[in-house]
Amino acid sequence: MHLRLWLPVASGLLMLAAPVAADASVGVGVQAGPVRLAGAAHPGGTYALPPVYVVNTGTQPESVAIRVERISRGTGRTVPPSWIRVSALPSQLGHGQSARVPLDLVVPAAARPGQYFSDVVVTGSASLTAGGANLGVAAATDLEFRVASGAVAQPWFSMPTWVLVAAAAIVVLVVAAVLVSRSGIRIRIEREPVGVAGGGGGYEA
Amino acid sequence: MRRSAVWIVLAVVVGIAVVSCGISGAAPQGAGHAASVSLSLTTVPTIRSVTVSPAKAAFGTCSGGLASRNTLSTAGKLGFPNGRCFVGLASPGIYPITITNTGIASDIYVNGTSANPADNGDQWVLCGQGHDGTVACTGRDGRPGTDQYRVETFSPAGERAAGLGTTPRCDNEFDAAHGCWAVEGASQSEGIELVGPSVSSDTSTKWTMTITWTPVPSQG
Repeated sequence: MHLRLWLPVASGLLMLAAPVAADASVGVGVQAGPVRLAGAAHPGGTYALPPVYVVNTGTQPESVAIRVERISRGTGRTVPPSWIRVSALPSQLGHGQSARVPLDLVVPAAARPGQYFSDVVVTGSASLTAGGANLGVAAATDLEFRVASGAVAQPWFSMPTWVLVAAAAIVVLVVAAVLVSRSGIRIRIEREPVGVAGGGGGYEA
Repeated sequence: MRRSAVWIVLAVVVGIAVVSCGISGAAPQGAGHAASVSLSLTTVPTIRSVTVSPAKAAFGTCSGGLASRNTLSTAGKLGFPNGRCFVGLASPGIYPITITNTGIASDIYVNGTSANPADNGDQWVLCGQGHDGTVACTGRDGRPGTDQYRVETFSPAGERAAGLGTTPRCDNEFDAAHGCWAVEGASQSEGIELVGPSVSSDTSTKWTMTITWTPVPSQG
């Protein structure tokens, strides 16, 4: 009797659930505005580009990958993909979740001056399968910057970071020593005689 | 002496703080009460995005191959040489894959990948008519040769006869005038046709490939 009642209910629920499964989608989005370096870059320089906005527009969680490829039409030299460093990619984006991904532009010393153009292509990792063919999504936005002639300006004085750290440590130690010596504090290091040290815990006959 | 100087400095600092608070905090005499109006604004999207949502579909309606070599296609299995399978059907029109531009108006591009066998052996390379960045099919009558395959998309707008390449190209199914312009919310239903190689070096019977749709900035 109970089984007869539950069967139509269960089949009804299954019918309701079926369209949900059919509506599963994969999607990805990227900012429509171009990724553009504000000033000119110079050969040999490294520059932080504005972070690129990415969003998961599908129904499934996904991670994203970013590559540089010239797809759309534009003027200028093609950006070599190795010039763009991508860091801090989000491990996973849920439905509707977004992130800003930092990009660095590393211009080689031998770079030719001029206008450069390519696309930042964001690819979603999620894919739906249609009978052996995976269906994927990506989204592209322009990447634009200018390389000016002349190497990047170097400061008149520069040294490796570890040298600066070591010098700072030495200065701190010297200052500490001077302060201690002027404060009148005396630190005396004494060694306890061996006989005394041994006598405390021994037995005498 | 020192103590008095400290007190003087402290008094000056406190005095400045009190005066500056009075300047910023007190409303002028006779001023009315402030009133505000809440406003809201909706903008056009500033995101370029796409979604793909297949209904339940599978490669099927396979044909071609040679019965004499015992490699004739069956309903759901690709035969050799140059068997042909469909996701959906061109006639009658069944287009199971829906591509929707969910962001700003853009050109919609599409590309494929090489087909990978389950044993990670020799791939099948995408081929087409040999222009527009695709590798030319080297088989008889322009069909895929050894370890080559061709993928075409079709929709109510027609069939992309040139075949997909690995580089994203304009998905002409989106625009009847052979463009691929799609405004926000525009969608297209498509099917896939796959033509297999004349000969496969790899003996795997399971192969995977990916077809990707990408909205890109339009220069038009």
